[in-house]
Amino acid sequence: MSLQYLPTAADLNTIAEQVWASYLDPEGVSPFVPDDTAAAASDVHASVSITGTWHGHVVFACSTVAAKRAAAAFLAMGEDEVSDDDVIDVLGELANIIGGNVKSMLPGGCFVSLPHVVSAPADANHWPSAEKICELAGTWMGEPIAISMWHESESEGESSQ
Amino acid sequence: MKILIADDSRVMRQIVSRTLRQAGFEGHDLLEAADGRQAYDKAMEEKPDLIISDWNMPEMTGVEVLRKLRASGNDVTFGFVTSECTKEMQEQAEEAGAAFFIIKPFTPERFAEVFAPILG
Repeated sequence: MSLQYLPTAADLNTIAEQVWASYLDPEGVSPFVPDDTAAAASDVHASVSITGTWHGHVVFACSTVAAKRAAAAFLAMGEDEVSDDDVIDVLGELANIIGGNVKSMLPGGCFVSLPHVVSAPADANHWPSAEKICELAGTWMGEPIAISMWHESESEGESSQ
Repeated sequence: MKILIADDSRVMRQIVSRTLRQAGFEGHDLLEAADGRQAYDKAMEEKPDLIISDWNMPEMTGVEVLRKLRASGNDVTFGFVTSECTKEMQEQAEEAGAAFFIIKPFTPERFAEVFAPILG
């Protein structure tokens, strides 16, 4: 793999397929469906930052319904049993898993932060110098989900956290 | 067998426990640690037969826990479950004496493959 290689939406899709097969849809009955035209609405988002030889963010964004559904699937609970803390922990873990896999595709010498979960659209992130470099948008049982990668410019990256 | 699951994520500790059961490894005594320090302390106090550890944890990373255990003469079977997998990490894990390296996301099939020789 070249040192210049950066993950693409196709790579994010491969990671998403593994996450769904392992935790969110182990029976293979309700997969994530990539769809560039899916609604952009995302009520909550979880992110991890990557620092080191590459600097940026990996963001998992989804609707409130999808977030509760994900927590229920992860924790093998009913959706009505899921607490706000469960949703935060599960979305954080999703961002951690996706971010960790993304890191494995980046040049050596990168570090992944602890996850950060916010009940607001992904656009609410305050990363003034970050640019979205790829996005996997789609739906899960009709609910919008998007996974995106943001790159911090070298000059301002360190000060924008 | 006594199994210590070390991960700073409550959700992931729960999923590791569940996946062990799904992979057919039931009836074991499961202990948990929420950071590297706790993992080391519980490993020394509780003397588990197997430690399944995250890599990135507060207080001490998983590989630091493993190195410290080995330095103190503890040869418990120890391996990693982590979402990050670089060649450097795998080399560090092997050099430190790790018995396995499982990448998140994982399936019960992967657990069965890795843990069958250990848990029987």
